[in-house]
Amino acid sequence: MSLDLPLIFAALMGLSILLYVVLDGYDLGVGMLMPAADAHEQELMVASIGPFWDANETWLVLGVGILLVAFPVAHGIVLGALYLPVVAMLIGLMLRGVAFEFRIKAEGWHRELWNWLFWFGSFLASFAQGLMLGRYITGFHTGFGYYVFAMLVGASLCGGYVLLGSTWLILKTEGTLQKKALGWARWGLIWVALGVGLVSLATPFVSTTVQAKWFDFPRTLALMLLPLATLAAGWMVWATTGRLRRGEREWDWMPFAATVAIFALAFAGLAYSLFPYVVMDRMTLWEAASHPSALKFMLLGVAIVFPLLLAYTVFAYRVFRGKARAGLYE
Amino acid sequence: MDNADVLLLARAQFGLNIAFHILFPTLTIALGWIVFYFRIRYARSGDAAWLATYKLWTKVFALTFAMGVVTGITMSFQFGTNWPGYMQKVGNIAGPLLAYEVLTAFFLEATFLGVMLFGMNRVPGWLHIFSSAMVAIGTTISAFWILALNSWMQTPAGHVMDGSQLIAGDWLQVIFNPSFPYRMTHMLLASGLTASFVVAGLSAWRLLHSGEDPSARKTLRTGLMLAAVLAPVQIFVGDLHGLNTLEHQPAKIAAIEALWKTERGAPLVLFAIPDDEKRRNDFAIEIPKGASLVLKHDANAELKGIDAFAPNVPPVAPVFFAFRVMVGMGALMLLVAWAGVWATREGALPRRWMLWAFSGFTFAGWIATLAGWLVTEMGRQPWLVTGILKTADAVGGPSGAQLGASLTAYIITYTVMLIAYFVVLTHLAGKGTAA
Repeated sequence: MSLDLPLIFAALMGLSILLYVVLDGYDLGVGMLMPAADAHEQELMVASIGPFWDANETWLVLGVGILLVAFPVAHGIVLGALYLPVVAMLIGLMLRGVAFEFRIKAEGWHRELWNWLFWFGSFLASFAQGLMLGRYITGFHTGFGYYVFAMLVGASLCGGYVLLGSTWLILKTEGTLQKKALGWARWGLIWVALGVGLVSLATPFVSTTVQAKWFDFPRTLALMLLPLATLAAGWMVWATTGRLRRGEREWDWMPFAATVAIFALAFAGLAYSLFPYVVMDRMTLWEAASHPSALKFMLLGVAIVFPLLLAYTVFAYRVFRGKARAGLYE
Repeated sequence: MDNADVLLLARAQFGLNIAFHILFPTLTIALGWIVFYFRIRYARSGDAAWLATYKLWTKVFALTFAMGVVTGITMSFQFGTNWPGYMQKVGNIAGPLLAYEVLTAFFLEATFLGVMLFGMNRVPGWLHIFSSAMVAIGTTISAFWILALNSWMQTPAGHVMDGSQLIAGDWLQVIFNPSFPYRMTHMLLASGLTASFVVAGLSAWRLLHSGEDPSARKTLRTGLMLAAVLAPVQIFVGDLHGLNTLEHQPAKIAAIEALWKTERGAPLVLFAIPDDEKRRNDFAIEIPKGASLVLKHDANAELKGIDAFAPNVPPVAPVFFAFRVMVGMGALMLLVAWAGVWATREGALPRRWMLWAFSGFTFAGWIATLAGWLVTEMGRQPWLVTGILKTADAVGGPSGAQLGASLTAYIITYTVMLIAYFVVLTHLAGKGTAA
């Protein structure tokens, strides 16, 4: 039996990136929401992501790592073309990561400064990631329209992360902060609806490849299940936040779960648009793959480690289940 | 902008990033184990002073770890962006080693760090101790893979050609290449020394600023004792590492010794100002036949000079000076550690000037480590992978303008981060465990 190694690694890379977007997405979203909360609420918000952000970010390293080691040629092209947004993202992630640690230990205006940097870093990283996505799906074409499109995707992704962050807070907090988060989630949802709608409409116009894949009857009819399911998930977020606002206490995990579903569906649509390209219109994943000997050696490691990795990720989330409490280090 | 400038900028940027990054793992690799030791002491004794010590040092650890993580993420991008030729040529070997680091180490340390930092009241004691151990093991595994790759780049082994591609023939040979055992041991000891001086230095700072603090006296002693044991071992291992380098990378040794010409009975150059243009030493102070005696254990043995390897030779002056900084710091650290152990014997409190000296040496390990890495990385030039790929052939991708702009952004960010790190660390140490 011969394994299609490039395909396996493409799937693993996709899974890692999706996990990264969802997991780091909620903590970046919480970071962007910081200015909207008072000092006590900020403590709770930080406490809700404290035990997780580090491991969440590791999924990015794994995703990019797989791109680097399994598709080295594509890594060079993609990250070369995205050089400046990548630098912006890295600086955003650095500021945010250290601000998280520093703000806990700082006092007075120092803490204010780190709070601000925490917000700024979260925002910069999120926007840069959206920008990268926008440039990536259009195959790095240059031109005014393409840049506007990329900015649009950047803004939409910020909205998406705000939605993830606020629904995470609905799950992890209670009382007034949870009430606020319910409001944030609804704004985030509107933002996402506009963003996803615009991007979905615009993408076929900026890319003929994508157009050909989606507008191909009768396949189009089957494909319409994706936007329909996305609409259903969006409606779930709206409906369950409404119920929670009316004072019901059950289902506080539902808005987050439905948001994750929106992200997974959008991701599936994107993956369908791209496949089998790893660099849009230029290079398929088989053309970009590294030598089978390297892939085989890595697959061995992945097969052994991946289940363990998922197991202790689940373990960590179980340890810190329930509502967040202020005073992280106590 | 011509290619030479792009190469220079790419190297400056990568060098800055890697030098900034290495500071933090160097500290956390060993500090993870020291924190684990504090945790065990608390579990055994139930003593509140050990608990306070543990809590203080986990904060230092978390801070340092976060600095390492965020700069490490940057590195994972720069491998590809700054050195596309590197992945093209040796990606089939470098890639899997990096992937194994992420898989086996990153997730382990990042996930269990959350439990270690914030989970003390949420999980049973044994599970918390287990999590602390996992974090320490994770950082050590991380060092294992990175040093395996770095050593392979210095002394490649186990690879074969498959058509035009370089691939691994035998992974065990790739990983356990000739310089790996020496470099790994040398680096782990460097980490141990760095961490023990940080522990001793910050404890001394606390004793100077918050008066009597029994846990600070305990940790001062712990740090000094550890340093006093590790320093002589490091000197011994460093010597073995040097002999291994002589065997596999003689050009690096020629640069370290500033030996321009191949000769019998080569002198040991204690000090000089090597002139890379004219290929000679100015103001040299030498011990006749010293280098032959030290390196070959025979006063009349022949040693290869820079001329034997031209034109593929490293820049002599920076390697020569960096080596002397490293050795000098090592000797000073040995002296300070031994004096410190003597000054704290039977629970004595050292005099204030000694406490100031320990504080001054807090980051001595960083200086020695950076100097050591400069020796080994500059000493490898012009090769990126010895005998296989030259640094100049690996550069590419971003333009000079992009590199220049991002380099500026990195310098500003790193400066802010480093200042903040020092401020928070001195603040934490000054507060003591009582607060």
